[in-house]
Amino acid sequence: MLQTRERPKPVVLPAYCKGCGRCVSACPQHCITLGTEINPESGLIPVEIDLEKCNGCGLCFAACPEPYGLTAYDPLMDLDESYLKFPDEDSSTAPVPQEISGETLPLPPVEPLMIKGTYAAAIGALLAGCRHFFGYPITPSTEGAELMAKLLPNLNGVFVQAVSEVATVNMMYGCGGAGMPCMTFTSSPGFSLMLEGVSYMIGAEVPGVFINIMRGGPGLGNIGPEQADIKLACRGLGHGNTHAIVLTPDSPQEMLDLTMLAFELTFKYRNPVVLLGDGYLGQITGKVKLPERMIKPGIPSWGVYGDDMHRRNLICSIQLSEPDLEIHNLHLNEKYQRIIESEQRADCFHCDDADTLIIAANTPARMAKGAVQVLRDRGVKAGLFRPITLWPFPIDILAPLLPKLRQIVIVEASNGQLEDELRLALSHAEIIDVPPISHVRHFGGVLPQQQEIIDRVLETIDTEVTS
Amino acid sequence: MADNPAVDQKSAKANFASDQDVRWCPGCGDYAILAQMKKVLPEIGVPREKVVFISGIGCASRFPYYINSYGFHTIHGRAPAVATGVKLANPELSVWIITGDGDSLSIGGNHLLHLCRRNLNVNIILFNNQIYGLTKGQYSPTSPVGKRTKTTPYGSLDTPFNPMSLVLGAGASFVARTIDRDTKHMAATFKRAAAHKGCSFVEVYQNCIIFNDGAFQSVTDPKIKQENLLYLEDGRELVYGADNDKGIRLEGLKLEAAALNGPESRNGLLKHQETMPDEAYTYLLSKMTERPDLPTPIGVFRALERPTYDEVFMQQIDDVTQKKGKGNLKELFITGNTWKVD
Ligand code: SF4
Ligand code: SF4
Ligand code: SF4
Repeated sequence: MLQTRERPKPVVLPAYCKGCGRCVSACPQHCITLGTEINPESGLIPVEIDLEKCNGCGLCFAACPEPYGLTAYDPLMDLDESYLKFPDEDSSTAPVPQEISGETLPLPPVEPLMIKGTYAAAIGALLAGCRHFFGYPITPSTEGAELMAKLLPNLNGVFVQAVSEVATVNMMYGCGGAGMPCMTFTSSPGFSLMLEGVSYMIGAEVPGVFINIMRGGPGLGNIGPEQADIKLACRGLGHGNTHAIVLTPDSPQEMLDLTMLAFELTFKYRNPVVLLGDGYLGQITGKVKLPERMIKPGIPSWGVYGDDMHRRNLICSIQLSEPDLEIHNLHLNEKYQRIIESEQRADCFHCDDADTLIIAANTPARMAKGAVQVLRDRGVKAGLFRPITLWPFPIDILAPLLPKLRQIVIVEASNGQLEDELRLALSHAEIIDVPPISHVRHFGGVLPQQQEIIDRVLETIDTEVTS
Repeated sequence: MADNPAVDQKSAKANFASDQDVRWCPGCGDYAILAQMKKVLPEIGVPREKVVFISGIGCASRFPYYINSYGFHTIHGRAPAVATGVKLANPELSVWIITGDGDSLSIGGNHLLHLCRRNLNVNIILFNNQIYGLTKGQYSPTSPVGKRTKTTPYGSLDTPFNPMSLVLGAGASFVARTIDRDTKHMAATFKRAAAHKGCSFVEVYQNCIIFNDGAFQSVTDPKIKQENLLYLEDGRELVYGADNDKGIRLEGLKLEAAALNGPESRNGLLKHQETMPDEAYTYLLSKMTERPDLPTPIGVFRALERPTYDEVFMQQIDDVTQKKGKGNLKELFITGNTWKVD
């Protein structure tokens, strides 16, 4: 039996139409007009169709370059609303991604190693399960990369010397996005170059460990030790509302321990972690005890690993609609808040009864420790407060020490960037009653010396006595 | 624009030596390049206050300190971009970019290509030592496959860049190669580069005695170099060997080495042409270093005149001024459709 059926008419799928207008000019009946409203899913402006005059000629289908821009509307078929939208996650038939858990393996006891700071960090990374290294040669960080180049191949690992720091950070974005622990060694100018990518990693919640062996700046500066990237790491990680945990070791032992911690934290929070060393710390040799356990990483549930299990995952930092991006920022801010509440770390040396507190991190903290010992011998109740996280600043650990203090001396190899972090933290904590703060600062590769720290402390005490 | 600035008699005697301590390793090929540059500069006839050396980062990039002219030690890989700014700010300057294989071909690859493409009237001297010297011996984009360095302890896997092919592909109008050990040839090549109107690219094979000694031994060892070197001369057949007993022919689309014995064997030998507008021939020349059976060409591969960027840039300013008159900001603000771009 002969059956006549109406020719199908077009329906625009707004989420897929890019508003190019080819169909507008193709339609002899002038049914299609350029739209005026942004589609929240695509961020583009789809066309609008009025089917009243449509005769089903089909010319618009042929004109549309998008595979799903226009679809045929069959009046015999009920058009489901959800058909007009991007398929959302729940409608996917792919399996729900599961975490493939890692393992902690016992490490046989070995004699402590005598190694330099960069090597200690590299070994820490290997013990934390990092098997992917990307980097670009830059003094004074390159030895760490060189050790990785030597050790990784027969650990089934990957070492790539990228063509620049820009390439490096994007390789890390790819590798971290797959859910694998990865890292780089760099130094100040290189770290500057990476910051665009760091912002993307934070936005897309991709883990990765950045070991920045800071050198003298600004600009080319020199290869001497400085701490002048504190501001960059704590306040300037590329564009947008960014933050990352910033760790500051003071010895080869901590270069290893904190690198391992960095890997744990970068996955715990799905956020890059920055470890700031200084040129001196990278080079000095020290006794390093290995931990009792090492990590064999798994694959996190969110990783775009490229297997059947993780098909549904998406890593991206783009959120076209304003409300969505605000929600994403709120989520990141909530994460930063959790970090501030639970990840503050500091080392307190003779702090309990101290009335003079020296605050220092990295290599300057080593000089400060010497100064504290000498001052104690002379009867001055000095203590050293050494932040191990600079962001978040360990204000909760510092605050109880403050009432006993007569003075704070900040010792740093920068123009007050550590002091800025302290003052910001005090201000945020609404601590108003603060003892006088003075400082010893050096730059350009010159480090603060023990004697000048002692002199500064005594100077303040003397003026107090005489006034 | 002073493409061929008049010879300044005083500058001919001017000394381009600076008062800085030269800090390259003893025996480094960089010294020879510096010496030749200092010798050539007075002969080019540009007063030293009109000369600027611009470098990126690396051993080679210390060069500007060692020449008594204007100098610019810039960011890693970015010398071509800085040079573009300098040349457009003052097109009268004789601009020299000093760079290395790491600086120009890895981190600065992008900038180098666009400099060649635009044909800015500057000179690029690429010190190719196939290694990162300043950071103490990591492989570079020109290190051969299999090269063992501190970051490739089991041998490099990267296919190296061929700098000559690369810049030819990017449209460089002057392309030449020379060798640190061949001082006369180097001086002559620098002079040619300076005289060329447009972007001149010179690759210098430079021995890094500390981290990559002997990388160019086949073309510097007096015992064997004659058999491995092909000196390019405009209009001359591609003939090489200690006794000029070998030549290069085109067989199909491939270059072949041919033994020359008797006048007939010279038939079909390629004749060098610097001004060949089609890249194909020059490209084949550039690829010879990738063929173990062929000699390494040195000299000027190509010297082709085409409009320079600084020239057309200034021309456009003149044209617009002529068409619209000399701009006046006050008037501009009150002109009707100033804020509509159509
Ligand atoms: S089917 Fe024909 S008449 Fe209908 S909208 Fe498309 S082009 Fe216009
Ligand atoms: S041709 Fe397709 S993509 Fe272009 S406006 Fe029409 S429906 Fe949209
Ligand atoms: S490291 Fe090599 S290239 Fe650098 S100055 Fe020394 S010899 Fe020359």
